[in-house]
Amino acid sequence: MAVALTMARMKIAIIRNSMTGQRAGLITLGGLLGVALAVGTIALSLTGPELLGPAYAVWMLGWILGPVFAGGGDETIRPEFFAPLGLPPRRLAAGLLAAAFVGIAPVISLLALTGLAVFGIRQGVAAGLVALPALLLQLVVFVLLSKVAVAVFGLALRSRVSAIAAGLINGMVLALLGQGWVFAVAYSEAGGVPPVVADVVRAVPSGWGLVAVESAAAGRWGRVAAALAALALLAVLLLAAWAVLLTRRVGRARAATGGRRPMRATTATGAVLGKETRTWSRDLVRTHQLTFALAYGVFFAAIPLLMGWDQMLPWAGPIFILMAAAMSANIYGTDGTALWLTLLTPRAGDVRGRQLAWLLFVTPVALALTLPLTALVDGPWPLVLSIMFALLGGGAGLVPLVSVYGLVPGIDPHKRGGNPLRTTEDDGSATGMMYAMLALGLLTALPAGIVALRYGWAGVPVGLATGVLCWWGLGALAARRLRGHGPELLHLMRTGRRDTGAGTMARYEDLPRRDQAIVGLCMTLCPIALFPQGIVPGVFKITGVDSRAWFLALYLPSWAQWPTIILMVLLGVALGAASIHLLQKYRRRPDHAEMIERARHSPD
Amino acid sequence: MTAALEITGLVKRFGEKVAVDGVDLNVPQGSFYGLVGQNGAGKTTTLSMAVGLLRPDGGTAQIFGADVWADPTRAKALVGVLPDGLAMPERLTGREVLTYLGLLRGLPPEVVAERAEELLAVLELDQAEKTLVIEYSTGMRKKIGLATALLHAPRLLVLDEPFEAVDPVSAATIKTILRGFVAGGGSIVLSSHVMALVEQLCDHVAVIDKGGVAAAGTLSQVRGSQTLEDRFVELVGADDGEAKELSWLSR
Repeated sequence: MAVALTMARMKIAIIRNSMTGQRAGLITLGGLLGVALAVGTIALSLTGPELLGPAYAVWMLGWILGPVFAGGGDETIRPEFFAPLGLPPRRLAAGLLAAAFVGIAPVISLLALTGLAVFGIRQGVAAGLVALPALLLQLVVFVLLSKVAVAVFGLALRSRVSAIAAGLINGMVLALLGQGWVFAVAYSEAGGVPPVVADVVRAVPSGWGLVAVESAAAGRWGRVAAALAALALLAVLLLAAWAVLLTRRVGRARAATGGRRPMRATTATGAVLGKETRTWSRDLVRTHQLTFALAYGVFFAAIPLLMGWDQMLPWAGPIFILMAAAMSANIYGTDGTALWLTLLTPRAGDVRGRQLAWLLFVTPVALALTLPLTALVDGPWPLVLSIMFALLGGGAGLVPLVSVYGLVPGIDPHKRGGNPLRTTEDDGSATGMMYAMLALGLLTALPAGIVALRYGWAGVPVGLATGVLCWWGLGALAARRLRGHGPELLHLMRTGRRDTGAGTMARYEDLPRRDQAIVGLCMTLCPIALFPQGIVPGVFKITGVDSRAWFLALYLPSWAQWPTIILMVLLGVALGAASIHLLQKYRRRPDHAEMIERARHSPD
Repeated sequence: MTAALEITGLVKRFGEKVAVDGVDLNVPQGSFYGLVGQNGAGKTTTLSMAVGLLRPDGGTAQIFGADVWADPTRAKALVGVLPDGLAMPERLTGREVLTYLGLLRGLPPEVVAERAEELLAVLELDQAEKTLVIEYSTGMRKKIGLATALLHAPRLLVLDEPFEAVDPVSAATIKTILRGFVAGGGSIVLSSHVMALVEQLCDHVAVIDKGGVAAAGTLSQVRGSQTLEDRFVELVGADDGEAKELSWLSR
């Protein structure tokens, strides 16, 4: 118990130390979102109890898969810290488990699980009482499932076959979640949760708590005991499995040991291309990322087949390209401090080589998906082709550009610990970068898409043109940035801190705390208002795409849709402008310290 | 004669902390120059600025007269660098790293192949032909780093802690290579906190302390009649010169 308490206390201390500035803003925002989702789940227990099972299944999937996309999950307290102590694996696992309950995610999940108690009390006192142990056990199982999933995943990334398998499964599950509307439609068509789904969500562990409460309400005490015992047993088994897996957690993702063909390049760009293609094929993390993008594209486009709608199929290729770009968004960051070699060879054309390598891996797959699938359903050829070409060029241009401008310092490959998914300490920023890449990637396809919708085949040359332009122009911008700011980027990677000299804007850290929080919040909300809530629904309306997803405007009566979209765009621009204004206000100059002092004491 | 490396008034601040505070160094051609100092004294920061890996807040660095920041292409072609603890293209084998870098440096492919072969053999890395750099030991990483620094036959070598974690046999090999390089007219700057090593190899030495140069010159000028270690402790050492002991460790 002492070990567990110490670890929990350690984690509290670390969280407290890291709750500063922008990070605090992000954590607060994420926390608020989580609370909203949890409250939504509790509301379900009042308004639509039959949806409670599916909802908890989604929470469980979130626990299992979330870490895979957020850089290997919560690693505030790492097993490596305690290696010299020689703790027995069970005690180590128990201690780490205690620490795992400290944090925002478990608290939010606990809140969501109180939906069980609400549901139980409405059925009677007995059911309400049963809900208490049920929801606690359920939380333990969630947290443990997450830990075991991450550990299994770490082992999987040691061989190529399992890396590919993991990529396929993750891509499939994420696509299922992304296409959740299919299930919503199925729900409304069937006039309720289809019986199969109702059975499945009760058979998986996320539904066992619910089964216990329902059985208590029905007075079937044997089933109550069985469900609770099953949860407890599962928790014990998971803990044991985790303890074993922790002892296996040694070494890093093994490089694939395939054939070593000699490097036959003769030019500098050729050499970069050779290095990159080898890295893509030998680094199992990258193998996993590409497989994930592929699986996501294919399943995302195929799931609507369940509803008998096949027109999504041609889009598997473009979705794959977009996902592959998002996965490569931090390409310089994941290579870490190897950047020093690029700095010492200033004329070598690193960016162009990386672009070529990316295209070399993505283009054949994109073509192999797009051409047959479009032919199969006789899809809208001009639109699909123009968007595919635009995205290929857009991705090839954006990958290096976003990577050098938004660089998130990575952990050097040879210093990554037992968790190969963890390529950076700052997984929040890395995830944000992925979303930024998705949004920017869509933008690059916009001109070609609009022309293709209006004028058909004319879109294809436009797509080719914007593609080439993006590849060439954005690549040139990236190369310029690398030449001009190379040492600063290397410093950022070495230390994790930005080394900005005097500039047109203040450094974020220079701002008074209050303004840091404001800028952090503005910077986070600005892209959300601007892209997904503003521009994207606007494009959907223009192009007549019939999906509302999470676009607020599209849920409103039609007269209010355009005003809402415009309002959202304006809001996004205003938020962005406000944060830039604040940063400029505290521009570094001799008297800036004094200004900050004044701002701290000003009455407003 | 132009200095192999001429550093004038280099300054670097990280936030409030001044890491390097006006360092001047003159590394004559043909010299074997040792940089000694405690951890955090500013050795790595100085060397990074000298070769163009970190932008200084003030001051200049010139390699054979070419300014590292104004004329980087010429300056960087003249220098071979071994930084401490930075990543490499990790998913390449040693030979592939050398091929890649040789081509980046603009060498003809056949020259690259020939030199890579020789470097791998001399540094005893040819045994690990199929091993990726990510699987190298720390000592092997130093050796492949040294090979990349030597590959384009530079006239100046800047080496940050080249002997750290290197086994004695490999260290002897590296020493032979470095001595040969200097004998052939090359110049070397290396940093280390092993005084005996600097005394054994170098003819010039600079003591870096708290971001500045505490002493610099030929080895005999700096150490006088003392050993380098005694002189070093005298220059940068603790207030009373007496090391503290842990009372509870002795019985």
